[in-house]
This record gives sequence, structure tokens and C-alpha cells, in this order.
Amino acid sequence: MFERGKKQPGDGDSQSAAGGAASGASSRGTPNRRSGPREAAVIGASIHIDGDVRGEEDLVIEGEVSGTVKLINNSLTVGREGKVNADVHAQTVFVDGNVEGDLVGSERVCIRETAQVRGNITSPRVSLEDGARFKGSIEMDPAALDALLGRQKNAAKPASGPAKSGSTQSSGGQSAGKSRDLLAEAKTG
Amino acid sequence: MSQGLSRQLDSDRHADDALLNVPLFHSLVERLDDDERHVILDLGPPQSGTVALFSRFRCRLDIADLAADLPAMQAASEAPSSRAVFAAMLPPDQQEPADVILCWDLLNYLDRPEMTALMAELAKRGKPGTLVHALVVYSARTMPVQPNRYAPVDDHSLQLIAKSQETQPAPRYSPEDLGLCTPGFKLERAMLLRNGMQEFLFRL
Repeated sequence: MFERGKKQPGDGDSQSAAGGAASGASSRGTPNRRSGPREAAVIGASIHIDGDVRGEEDLVIEGEVSGTVKLINNSLTVGREGKVNADVHAQTVFVDGNVEGDLVGSERVCIRETAQVRGNITSPRVSLEDGARFKGSIEMDPAALDALLGRQKNAAKPASGPAKSGSTQSSGGQSAGKSRDLLAEAKTG
Repeated sequence: MSQGLSRQLDSDRHADDALLNVPLFHSLVERLDDDERHVILDLGPPQSGTVALFSRFRCRLDIADLAADLPAMQAASEAPSSRAVFAAMLPPDQQEPADVILCWDLLNYLDRPEMTALMAELAKRGKPGTLVHALVVYSARTMPVQPNRYAPVDDHSLQLIAKSQETQPAPRYSPEDLGLCTPGFKLERAMLLRNGMQEFLFRL
């Protein structure tokens, strides 16, 4: 069911891991900048899964998944042909295909131009390419993100309150205002 | 002047035309407080420029992309419960009222009952002080058959991206028309833009 591919859904990869995923052995892909090339498990185009998907490795979905997807410390890529009807929680989420459900990326969520997404996005870094279809909410308030991502460190603040100080966390943007490092990157299609 | 240079100048002029200076949009962004949380309800399609602009603030950006649902919306709004249909097309309010609502040029594509139903639903999503920004065709007799895309380049200019070259008659709503179709909202300011559209800012 799952095949081992050499698809690396790493940062900056603007190509989808699309087409022929069932064969799994594509050598396309770019190195992951943090940890070098990483293999990703692939759910092939002919595979349908109803239920919960959990794992400790990167995953590319080219088939259909309904239920939930949890890859807390890993990356999920929904390929161009992939259809996910599930809430997703991963470290990084890249979407080229179709998703109906909420997306939580503890590091990043990237909606590429071929994507169709209906759901809410929660992540400290969100990129949304022009041409993508998206309907839902993008949470960009660091305080709300902390609460939603369960990062209530130090003096936790309520989602509705200001987040001016009190955290040493480096990712996710902790200071309010224009200088904070919360990013919603703009990529023009 | 050579033909090539003439063509280049013409092309530059079109590029300039596509960039709209929008003072009321600027004033709206200027009013957002860096330290306060805001909810922005964007009725247009997702644009990377909009995400980038509002990511500077502590906010939740709700993207409704109503233009994508326009044909279904127009079929549905013939029913008496059209407001409920609009409600279903908007993202859930998550029990947090919108501070800013961005209509872009959507209102031009709604007839009066549709606009009234949409604005009534938007009033329910807002709170006293909620600002609504809209672009309405004023001097041109025609408009594209589909709403344009407007991508903020910065907080005072928008890149106009036409989705269709085909045109249809424009309703050319007057401020009085809009006043009748926006129950609960007060017209705060209106400005005529260089491209013949009028920029409106309403307040709940």
C-alpha cells in the first residue's frame, strides 16, 4: 500500500510530486535543506484509505484519504492527483491537490497554485500561491496560533489578548506588530 | 517615434492602468492597530498579496471567494431564503465578528435584492464600527463578465488582474442605490478612481 519513494517535499520545492506515484521510485525532488534528502512514503494514485493515517516519516498522498492525517514531526505533501477529505496535522504541509478539511502545520503550510482547499489553515508560516482555490480561514495571530498549536509556553496569553512579550520561542512569531517574524509568504504564480 | 517604442509606451501605459491607487483602502489598512487582533473577511478569491499584506497584523483572514459561487448564488437568491444561502457560502464566523470586509468589485455582479441579502448577512457578521470596502463601476457603461481579481501590491495600490476580456453592461450603482441596498451600513466615504470606478467605504 505504501511505497517508498525518493520524493522530498522539502522547502522550496515548487514541483508537485505528481503522476505515477504508485510506481513510487521517482528520483525527482529537491533536497530537504535542514536534514538533506529524505525519503517519503507514497500513497499511490489507486489507493483509497478511510480512517486515520499516522506516522513518523514524510508522506506523499497521490490517492484518496478520508479520516485524519497526523504526521506531527514530519512533512505531508498532497500531490496534484491527491484527494484528502480529512483534518491534517503535520510539521509541514504542501498542497498541490484537493483538500477538504483543516490544515495544521506546526512549521509551515504551503498552498500551491494547482491546489483546491476548503478548510482552515493554522500555521506560523502560510504561503498561498496565486491561482490556488481556497475557501476558509487563515489564522495569522501569533497568540491564537500558540493556543491552537498547543504552544502555551511561559506566560501564556489568551487568543484574544495582545502578544507583546513573554515568550522565547523563535518560530511562530511571538511579538505583535509589523516586525514580528510571523510569515505569510507571497508567491506570485 | 518608432513603432517599437510606441508599442512599448502603450504596453507601459496598460501596465500603469492595471495598478490602481486606492486611497480608501489605504485609510482602512492604516486604521488597523498593530497590537490588536482583527478579523478580515475577504469576499474575493485568495491572493498572495492579500495574505502578505494582512500577515503584518495580528489577524485571522477569512477568504470566502464568493465570485466562484456566483452562478449558484444567483440561482439561489431567487429563493426567499437567499440570506441563508449567502450565510452558507461564507466561512463560519467562529463567533468572532469581522472588523473589515473586503468586497472588491463583487457588488457590481449582484442585483439589488441579492446585494441587500448579502449585506444583511454581512451586517450580522460584523459589529459596530466594522468597515466594508467596495469598488463599484461608476463611469464605464460596461464591465468584464466576471469579477476581476485585485491583488494588493502594498497598502495603497492594487494590481487589477482581469479574469475575462468579455464585457457586459455595468449596473453603475449610485451612492443612493448602494445606500438602499446596504441596510445597517452608513456610507463613510466615496472616491472616484482613475479607472472610472468609485471606491466606497461603509461603516456598520
